[in-house]
Amino acid sequence: MRALAAFWMRLLVFTPIAVITGTLLLLKQSPPETGIGADRLQSPGTLRPAYASPIQVKLVDIIPASLSGETNQDSEPFLAVQTANPQVMVASAFTPNPVSSRGNAPVYVSQDGGNSWLLNAITPVQRMTCDITHAMPIGENHPRGDLHAGTLACAASITLNESESNDVSSSAVMNVQSTRANVDQPFVRALGISNSDHIYVGVNDFNQPNGHTATVDVSVDGGVTYKSFSIEARNTAGQDGPSVRPAVASDNTVYAAFFGWRKFDGKTATSDVVVVRDDAGGTGPNSFQALKDPSDKLPGRIVVKRTSIPWSNAPTLGQERIGSTLSIAVDPNHSSTVYVGWADRGSKGNIYTVHVRRSTDRGLTWSKADLPHTTIGNATNIALAVANNGVAGLLYQQLSGGRWVTHVVQSHDGFTTVQDLILATVPANTPVQQFLPYLGDYDYLLSVGNEFRGVFCANNSPDLANFPQGVTYQRAANFNTKSLTDGSGNPVAISIDPFYFSVPVIP
Amino acid sequence: MKISSSFFAGLLGSAILASSMLVHAQTQSTQAALVKQSSIVFSGTVSQLAAASFAGVPQSPNTIVVRVDSVLKKPPAISLKKGDNVTVELKDPSAFQQGTQATFYTDGWIFGAGVAVKEVGHRIILSDAPSAGAPAASEAALVQTQDQISDQDLQNRLNSADFVVVGRVTEVRRWNVPKSSAPRVSEHDPDWHEAVVEVQSVLKGGPIKGNKVVVRFPGRNDVAWVHSPKFEKNQQGIFCLNRDQASAVSSEKVGGRQVSVYTCLGHGDSLPMSDEARVRSLLKK
Repeated sequence: MRALAAFWMRLLVFTPIAVITGTLLLLKQSPPETGIGADRLQSPGTLRPAYASPIQVKLVDIIPASLSGETNQDSEPFLAVQTANPQVMVASAFTPNPVSSRGNAPVYVSQDGGNSWLLNAITPVQRMTCDITHAMPIGENHPRGDLHAGTLACAASITLNESESNDVSSSAVMNVQSTRANVDQPFVRALGISNSDHIYVGVNDFNQPNGHTATVDVSVDGGVTYKSFSIEARNTAGQDGPSVRPAVASDNTVYAAFFGWRKFDGKTATSDVVVVRDDAGGTGPNSFQALKDPSDKLPGRIVVKRTSIPWSNAPTLGQERIGSTLSIAVDPNHSSTVYVGWADRGSKGNIYTVHVRRSTDRGLTWSKADLPHTTIGNATNIALAVANNGVAGLLYQQLSGGRWVTHVVQSHDGFTTVQDLILATVPANTPVQQFLPYLGDYDYLLSVGNEFRGVFCANNSPDLANFPQGVTYQRAANFNTKSLTDGSGNPVAISIDPFYFSVPVIP
Repeated sequence: MKISSSFFAGLLGSAILASSMLVHAQTQSTQAALVKQSSIVFSGTVSQLAAASFAGVPQSPNTIVVRVDSVLKKPPAISLKKGDNVTVELKDPSAFQQGTQATFYTDGWIFGAGVAVKEVGHRIILSDAPSAGAPAASEAALVQTQDQISDQDLQNRLNSADFVVVGRVTEVRRWNVPKSSAPRVSEHDPDWHEAVVEVQSVLKGGPIKGNKVVVRFPGRNDVAWVHSPKFEKNQQGIFCLNRDQASAVSSEKVGGRQVSVYTCLGHGDSLPMSDEARVRSLLKK
């Protein structure tokens, strides 16, 4: 009887221990899995120790589970965050309509802070855009809008549409508010002011006279009307470079950066890096003329004069083309501080070199040399942002050792000291490019509260060694065999996918 | 009298048979039309009314959740299989209740953790209907109909082409854009090339002088032109051509003769010779 009691006592004590030990062992041995259904998403807080980063990084391949069979080159990503409710976000890439060549080109929508994404075909462009950027200001107070987008339609001629959606979760196609042909690379930034959305679209507008093509389209009524301002004041080589980038501060200060092409021979642009400023949201009589260069007294401060920028519309930096990477960011709360970044011909051995400079006096004077740690060889896709606490963020992609390495760098002291995180390091030679751009002519970084959020594109091999901060896939992926499937077990080829990330802003 | 009864009975039987065949043909025709309009076709059983199968899909009285019994048509990129739950936005939900079995002819709507579709049409599967127990036959019919869809797409393309020709490419060269119409420098520059095509026969459009045309096409592999055909010397095929509206110069001298310039820009505008019979047949319709 006592022996029996002792047996039951031992059983009672050891059973929970055995169960707990078994569970822990199973957990340890279980491979990281993803699959159809969002219930296996790993939030940063639940990343297993082997894959967790000491910094709470969220990195998500945004291809939805129900598109696990896709093999598109989903390159050139962009991101918009609903300012009033940052859980709502819209991302985009060169992703075709998944079911029809006659259907609308889609965007990716997240309503849970980037943990899960779905595809909604709401842009006004048929099948696939050939450029798209967007922003979601809060002036008009739509809970899942206002999304303002600038898109290019690919057809016999290239057409710009400036359009809006009041609800990105609905199936309503975006309302086209303005359209015109013969422009390139629309780049949208926006700010909600007094119940109205102020929208700034940088475009290279070939309709402008005298080759003064660098242009900002301004709307201060939510896109109902737009007015175009050429921001180039000097002689050009017939045109400016494709990238025209606005940046908006909360006090209604608007900057824009562009490449003032002074000479172009088909392979190299001799270009000024120019910054203009407007102190009244682009509404005054002499818009974007607040900054004048001391050398010629003309509007537009020349940050760098006559730098040599290689132009190659063929695979040059790995499988990527080069020629026009440019970014500008203003401190949202101290509009005197503004950063500009670009790439030009590097020193010997570097094909393309990224640089960052800063002004702390509203663009009047600029750092004479690159900020520390910001002369970066063989790199492209620079994107800058400034957080509410003044910390500067820098996203770029560097070709290094046969791999595309995506960095996000933060600094509170002008990059003298930095936190440099590698988000992805993936093979650069696979997959083979389907078209150009391979990764994109740009990626994107912005600040939201105490986070930097952004998007970049990369080879989607499900290999944890490629993602040092951890990663979550929505699409069906097996991290043990490092292979993708279509959700029914059939193999799917590796391709380029867009990745969303969130990184906490350093104190 | 006896003969007459047999005669009328036979007549009645024939009428019923003919009527049944007509109804069957009409059903097949309707089904084929629905398949042509649909990107995703599946049969399934309604599991929830006024519901959605995954987060992010706007739920309404018109949305239902359907458990997939059989997938009859879908693009390869879409993950959809037996047992999956699909949200269907119906035109009119009154015909459906839990347990209703139907074939859903749909178009893609939202793709997330699952698939949401919009109804193009539906066919209720009655449990006592002869076809209810024979999904394989239904599937075979649909697969057969699917083959006709690419014909439909091709037909649309043929209809919008100014010319459809059978020809051989005799020369490919870069087109130096005249300064008066020089395009600006952009990542989307088409890098225009020209193919001189010796026309062997004109399948659509009027006669072509000198039996030669110049076809402009983008040589660049930019995202804007990735689906445009690229021509090679000695390539033979069927080409859907449109009058050149892209490069702004609409005629050119070939062999001392002024010939019209066309473009060939769309996906599927250049077809292999193996498609000739099919193209000829579609052009007759």
